[in-house]
Amino acid sequence: MEFNIDDLPVLFPYPRIYPGIYMCDLKKTLDAGGHCVLEMPSGTGKTITLLSLIVAYQQYYPEHRKLIYCSRTMSEIEKALVELKSLMKFRAERLGHDEEFRGLGLTSRKNLCLHPSVKREKSGSVVDARCRSLTAGFVREKKEKGESVDTCLYHDNLDALEPHNLVPNGVWTLDGILRYGEEHKQCPYFTARRMMQFCNVIIYSYHYLLDPKIAERVSKDLSKDCIVVFDEAHNIDNVCIESLSTDITEDSLRRATRGVQNLQAKISEMEESDQKKLQDEYEKLVEGLRGADEARREDAFMANPVLPDDLLKDAVPGNIRRAEHFVGFLKRFIEYLKTRMKVRQVISETPPSFLAHLKEYTFIEKKPLRFCAERLTSLVRTLELTNIEDYQPLQEVATFATLVATYEKGFLLILEPYESDTAEVPNPVLHFTCLDAAIAIKPVFDRFSSVVITSGTMSPLEMYPKMLGFTTVVQESYAMTLARRSFLPMIVTRGSDQAAISTSFKIRNEPSVVRNYGNLLSEFARITPDGMVVFFPSYLYMESIISMWQGMGILDEVWRYKLILVETPDAQETSLALETYRTACANGRGAVMLCVARGKVSEGIDFDHHFGRTVLCIGVPFQYTESRILKARLEFLRETYRIRENDFLSFDAMRHAAQCLGRVLRGKDDYGIMVLADRRFQKKRAQLPKWINQAMMDADVNMSTDMAVSSARRFLRSMGQAFPADKQDGVSVWTMEHLAAHKEKVERERIVELTLAREKEEAMMVGNRNGGGGGGGGGGGQWVESDYEMDEDDEAEMMALDAV
Amino acid sequence: MPPKPAAPGAPARNLFHPLPIPPSADDMCPVCKTIRYLNRDMEFLINPECYHTMCLNCVNRLFTDGPNQCPYAGCSRTLRRKGFRSAFFGDLAVEREVDVRRRVAAVFNRVEDDFETARDWDNYLQMVEDLTFDLVHGTGEKRGEAEKVLVRWEGEHKGEIERNRRAGREREEQARRRMGLEKDAARERRVAALREVEEERRERAASKEAELDGIAAAPDGRGGVQLKRRGQVVRAVEAAAAATAEVGRLSIRGLKEKGKPRGAEGPYDPFGGVDFAPSRYRLGEGLAHPQVDKYRFDQGHVTGGYSFEEWTARAMYEAFAGLGVFVEDEKEAGIGLSSREIATIASGIAAVGDKMELD
Repeated sequence: MEFNIDDLPVLFPYPRIYPGIYMCDLKKTLDAGGHCVLEMPSGTGKTITLLSLIVAYQQYYPEHRKLIYCSRTMSEIEKALVELKSLMKFRAERLGHDEEFRGLGLTSRKNLCLHPSVKREKSGSVVDARCRSLTAGFVREKKEKGESVDTCLYHDNLDALEPHNLVPNGVWTLDGILRYGEEHKQCPYFTARRMMQFCNVIIYSYHYLLDPKIAERVSKDLSKDCIVVFDEAHNIDNVCIESLSTDITEDSLRRATRGVQNLQAKISEMEESDQKKLQDEYEKLVEGLRGADEARREDAFMANPVLPDDLLKDAVPGNIRRAEHFVGFLKRFIEYLKTRMKVRQVISETPPSFLAHLKEYTFIEKKPLRFCAERLTSLVRTLELTNIEDYQPLQEVATFATLVATYEKGFLLILEPYESDTAEVPNPVLHFTCLDAAIAIKPVFDRFSSVVITSGTMSPLEMYPKMLGFTTVVQESYAMTLARRSFLPMIVTRGSDQAAISTSFKIRNEPSVVRNYGNLLSEFARITPDGMVVFFPSYLYMESIISMWQGMGILDEVWRYKLILVETPDAQETSLALETYRTACANGRGAVMLCVARGKVSEGIDFDHHFGRTVLCIGVPFQYTESRILKARLEFLRETYRIRENDFLSFDAMRHAAQCLGRVLRGKDDYGIMVLADRRFQKKRAQLPKWINQAMMDADVNMSTDMAVSSARRFLRSMGQAFPADKQDGVSVWTMEHLAAHKEKVERERIVELTLAREKEEAMMVGNRNGGGGGGGGGGGQWVESDYEMDEDDEAEMMALDAV
Repeated sequence: MPPKPAAPGAPARNLFHPLPIPPSADDMCPVCKTIRYLNRDMEFLINPECYHTMCLNCVNRLFTDGPNQCPYAGCSRTLRRKGFRSAFFGDLAVEREVDVRRRVAAVFNRVEDDFETARDWDNYLQMVEDLTFDLVHGTGEKRGEAEKVLVRWEGEHKGEIERNRRAGREREEQARRRMGLEKDAARERRVAALREVEEERRERAASKEAELDGIAAAPDGRGGVQLKRRGQVVRAVEAAAAATAEVGRLSIRGLKEKGKPRGAEGPYDPFGGVDFAPSRYRLGEGLAHPQVDKYRFDQGHVTGGYSFEEWTARAMYEAFAGLGVFVEDEKEAGIGLSSREIATIASGIAAVGDKMELD
């Protein structure tokens, strides 16, 4: 369908559209050039709505602002690419010609590699390292000199092509570009990366924009007027924090030591054979020269882990200019860290205190530490190392060094000698954690004029601008218009025996609570057709409650109705469980999937239609509050942003709960029951997204198990009635006519509003004239009169005072 | 006797110092071949003369009677008991390097501000680093040379070094103070936040109370039913208040209740709580008597900073001074003092406070 928003013609590839003003608000944001936070129900075509508006926008206006669309997982990226492709196909049909348009997706080397042996590697970092060893600049130089070195054919073929025209116009899905690459024998990864500047739409993961280690290399050339969209952004603050945090373990230090020894050996080797190279590097460092593009070179060993604004511009300090000095420096630093790791008590300290202690014991100053990452990159390049994966731990240490010396505020070092409180064998981990999500995302907000943050579950919206430190133009949560009540959210607070149920720490293991939860599960397993998903607050609790259920015979009860499958921390096991689950749901056996609210299943897996008819959220999924990192972050939030601990914890728990609930409803023809089973949900109801909260009747917020079951039965019976799709038209989806009608209505309202405003204005003007001319005596402007009244009052008061 | 750091500049041991080195099964003293299994508290020491490790027992055995030769084969250094200390680093090469650095840093202690350009500063840094490198890794000749340079530099720039050292210490002190202040401020903020939360909770409880009062006052019989739960609410609030008071403190259950130390709260009171306000009479504002009124305006009395009010207060005090003393009682409780003495002591005691007021 085709319609106009203000003066902008939008082509929408589907004949029906969900009503709402999402597009209008989006356009307003783009016009105003600001940031916005939008919450839109899941499964209502958020992605295509976004894409169709922004593509229309960039094609219509002469600036042709580029779209950077960031999503979370591979599958979401691929989905967005497919949507974009169908949109462009539709546009081409409608407009009658193919537009000058390129859309590309970028993902890791591991997913895009075609090299016959490299692509078989399992781990992403190994693929990266091997790819670099085949494609690095010095490898090519060597080859040109006639030495026999391995190179990648796919990569080398790219050089023969025009650098700005590596792939023809069109939208390339990840699959598509892999196929194209195979056909033309060119590397899809480098094709995508090099073409990014020439694309209209780029779709990739958050990390390419937020993680400074990657963003510096990948996203530096993107212009300022790009439109940046973060989809599924409810977890964006955690991504920001992770991108600036590092963990160091004893093992990584050991391997780093080995890396340093290797470096030392390489240096002495080079000193004998090819001293000129080292000398060249040294002289370059003395001059403070730095190739403008060094950090961004595709083959760079590692990028600087700090944000571009925090990079030091001056020359490398004199005491690490020489390669051997630098290696000694690294060695000392690593030995120091090793010593610190031996402490058997938890320590949390700020970076300045760490640096002071470091200086006292090792005479390492702050400045050379800041240059650690850069200096290491330069050294690795000079030494022409190829087996880069061996130096991974060293790189981690250098990253840590640079970060700790760069940032004073908003970071904390936490040393945890034991994995848990009861552990006997020490396994020390040094966490360098970022506490402030705003640090990593600030460059994005500063650089790009329009940033759109959107997701299905972002309530309460005002939390995000507060935490990420930005201001919004539009901040909106959209409700869902429904032709029939297609989902039933309920809060179950009591078991059938009227005892309160909760997973609060005190009572979570009481037999009555466990039994009540078990009854809830078995009752819903009995009445739910096909698939059912259950979420627990943590793996630990899930394990304990399942074993208790087993003892109580509840699982046997459930077993009669459904296959029972469990999520585990292992990704492969979980995907196997999911596959089985889908089979069981599809063939009518039905299954219940027990998962964890913060696990993999809760985030990226859709349980649409018969794959999920009931979602049962057992307990409020609070974070593990004893975690020291979380504690530090809570304290930071309170001190810096005045967000109280409980507010944040509750916000975080509810966004995860909402994510879990959103898993079963993936579109308007879908239906499902959402059960929140915990007494504490009753008070947190307001923190649910608007679209869920709105659908929750007041009668449904304080139910016992038997009431919930009977209500769910009634709901399922009503859902069983035939419901022709055209009944939805006009209410929950709009066709062209509805849209036109709506538009007319809006315009009419606008006219009425304008006329009213005009009349009011005129009345006001008349009043003003009267008031100005006739003094207090006129019957015109009311406010004038009131002014006088005020004066009289004052006078009376004064007189009264005098009389006293 | 615990080992002491040998080098004069050695930092004081603090929280982070990794002592004792955590036990690992294969620890063995290279001198006496004792293993950790036989001696759980084995502690390894080194002497910065030669950096050879040995256990505390060996050190005590060999060096208590004065200097002795290092027990390592081929090492002919003479070591003293005083020089032994435990190593900070696991890698003794690094330990030695840091010791050298400590020496060098004490001599070459310029800061960036002393230099005109960053380039000069960097060159200086590299010069120092080269020197250190020679001292640490250099062989024979180079090392000697570097040693010579170091000594010469120290001799030539004595005053400057001293000055820089003082400045450096001051800087460090400042930094430490700043960090301390920040920490204090953070703690204060934390306490304030806690208090805020507590206040809010109390307010909420109070409003709930008020609501309940309203219900209780209601004429119909519904009040009674509602109030049944009231006691629970109050108790819960109290418990919560107690719990928040405990926040931040380590709590151990089952400890015996100890009486609060007396007088710990509030500022120090030098009079031990004696109340100065006269109890038997009250001084009015406009005291007037023809006999004394003339002094109020008499030049001879007023000019010397003499306050008429003070005078009246004193006169009143003297008039009432002995009234609280009962000689008979004192006599009974007497401990062999003559009645006169008792009377003077009693009046003295009674007078102690008020004298202060009058002065």
